[in-house]
Amino acid sequence: MTTVLAVALDLIREAASRRWFLALGAGITLLLGVAGFTLRMDVVDGALAATRLFGQVLPTDIRSVDVALRPIFRAAAYVIFYGGLGFGVLACADFAPSLLAPGRIEHLLALPVQRWELLAGTFLGVLGLAMAGALYGAGGLTLLLAVKTGVWTLRPVLAALLASVTFAALYGGMLAASVFARSAALSAATGGALFLAGIVAGYRERLATFFEPGAPRALFRAVTSLLPRVSTLADTSADLAASAPVEALDLASQLAGIAVFGLAAVAFGIWRFEQKDF
Amino acid sequence: MLAIEAAALRKTYAGLFRREGQQALAGLDLAVPRGAAFGLLGPNGAGKTTFIKTLLGVVRPTSGVVRVLGGAPDDRAVRARIGYLPERLHLPHAWTPVAFLASVARLKRLSMTEAALLRDLARVGLVDSAQRRIGGFSKGMKQRLGLAAALLGAPDLLVLDEPTDGIDPLGRAEIRRLLTEERARGVTLFLNSHLLSETERVCDRIGILAGGRLIREGALEALCGSATRFRVRFAPGCDPAALLPLGFVARDAEGAFTCDAASPEDLNALLDRARARGALLVELARDMRDLEDVLAEALGARDGPEAAAAGGGGPGGGPSDDPGGGAGPARAPARSAGASP
Repeated sequence: MTTVLAVALDLIREAASRRWFLALGAGITLLLGVAGFTLRMDVVDGALAATRLFGQVLPTDIRSVDVALRPIFRAAAYVIFYGGLGFGVLACADFAPSLLAPGRIEHLLALPVQRWELLAGTFLGVLGLAMAGALYGAGGLTLLLAVKTGVWTLRPVLAALLASVTFAALYGGMLAASVFARSAALSAATGGALFLAGIVAGYRERLATFFEPGAPRALFRAVTSLLPRVSTLADTSADLAASAPVEALDLASQLAGIAVFGLAAVAFGIWRFEQKDF
Repeated sequence: MLAIEAAALRKTYAGLFRREGQQALAGLDLAVPRGAAFGLLGPNGAGKTTFIKTLLGVVRPTSGVVRVLGGAPDDRAVRARIGYLPERLHLPHAWTPVAFLASVARLKRLSMTEAALLRDLARVGLVDSAQRRIGGFSKGMKQRLGLAAALLGAPDLLVLDEPTDGIDPLGRAEIRRLLTEERARGVTLFLNSHLLSETERVCDRIGILAGGRLIREGALEALCGSATRFRVRFAPGCDPAALLPLGFVARDAEGAFTCDAASPEDLNALLDRARARGALLVELARDMRDLEDVLAEALGARDGPEAAAAGGGGPGGGPSDDPGGGAGPARAPARSAGASP
C-alpha cells in the first residue's frame, strides 16, 4: 500500500507542475476571487433582500436565503459535474501513456514495485486530483456564499465529490485503454466516448422508446446496461446540491454501479498490464 | 556464486497478425559470477535489450530459466538489490533532480534525507544543478542523474545500458572512476555499450550476442589477447632487417616488433637469438587485439558458415576459431570460457 500511495503522490506532484492543472487552479481561484470581491448579498431576517454583482442590482424576489441559493448550487453542481468530467478527460488523458512511456516504464518495473501497484497508484492519484479539484471549486463556492449569506451547507461539496467519483470511474476505462495501446489520444477518446455514452445510458429508459420493440430495443438496453449512468449521477449531484430530496437507496445503487464499472475497468487494465512485455 | 544465470533462454514476441512471432532470444546460456564486470556486445537486433529486460522482469521469457542474484527477477526483494539505468531514461521535466531521486528512493523503500540525496548527486557531479529543473538538463546530465538513481541504496548488481551515452570525455572518466569504486565495493556490473573502448576499459568479461545467442564469452584478456603472439620493444639502434629472418616483424620505427612463439621456451629462445644480434629488450607483452576486431571476427565467423550453408548453422553456430585459447564460441553453457575474475 505504501508503494501505491507513493505512485499516487508522485502523480499529483507531476500534475501540480502541468499547465492544465495550474490553469484550472488559477481559473477557479480567479472566479472565486472575482465573485468574492464583486458579489454582494443583503440578507435581512433570513431573507435575501438584494443581490448586487459589480454594483448592479440583480432582479430577484425577496425570499428565504437558503431557497434563493438552491438554483445557484444546482447550476454550480451541473457545471462542476459536466465541466469537471470534460476537463478531467482532456487533462488526465496522458497520465497513463506517460507512465508507460519507453524509458520510464522499464525503469519503474526494474524497481521493487509490483505491476498492479503502478496502475492502482495512478488510478488513486487521478481520483485524488479529481477530488482535490472538486473540493477546491465546490468548497470555495460554498464558503464564499456561506460567508455572504450565513447559510452553511455541505451539500454542494458532497455533489462535487459525486462528480469526482464518476470521473474516477471513467478514468478507469481510460487507464485500461492506455494499457492496451499507449496513446493519449486513444485515452482521451475512450474517456470522451464513455462520457457521452454515459449521458445516453442515464436516459436509457426514455431513449429506449425510440427503438423498435424487439431486438433493436433489447440491444440498446443491453449495451447501455454496461455503461455508467453519467447523466443520472449528474442529476443526483444537482439534487444533492440544491437540497432536493434524494432517495438514499437510489444514491447507494448509483454509487455501487459506478464503483463496479470503475473497478472492473481498472482490474481489466491490471490484468493486461501483468501480461504485457515492455 | 553467480549474479546472473540464464539457461536455454528464449523470447519470441508474438505478433498480432503474424503466426510466427519475432524471436529475440534463441536459447541463450550465460553465467556471470558475482563481482564481475561483464560487458555485453552485439549488433543492433542481437537481443541485448531484450536480455537486459528479461533480467529485470520487464520482459517475461517464452521459455528457459533466468535467475538474478539467486532469485527470480519477479521477486521484489531481488529487484531491490538491482540498480538499473535504461538506455533512454524518461525523466519528469518539471522536477528537480532531488525530487526525482526522492521519488526513486521512496519506490525503493529507502528512507533518505535530502542531505544524503545531495551527496548522491555530488557523486555524479550534479550537486551544482540540484535545484534546477530536469527539463533544462543536457543529455549527459540526464544520464548522470539516471546513474545516481541506479546507485541509490547501494545495489549488489548494476545493469547499465549505455551509461556514458552523451557524456563528455572527462565525464566518462568520472563515470569509470565511479564504476571502479562500485566494483571495489563488490558490485557486479552488467554493461551494455556500443562504445567498445568504454567496455574494454570497464569490463573484465565480455559476451558477444548475435541472433539471440551468445557466440563468444570469456575474460577480456582471453578474448582479445593472443596466446602465441607477443609485442616486443628493443632499445634504439637495433636492426629490423637483421631481426626479420628470426620472425620479428617491425610495427613502427620506434623499435616495436611482433613475434610468434608457441611456448615460453620458444619465446625465450627467440629473444636470445635477437639479443645475440645486438637487440636489447626493453618491453615484452602479449599482443592484444581491439575489441572491435574480436567483435568483427566473431560476427564474421557466425555469418560466414551460415551464409555458406544457407541457414544450416543457425544463430550462434560459429566455428571454433578460438583466437585466445581461453575463450571461445559460447555454446551452452558459456560459463567455462576464459579465466574467472
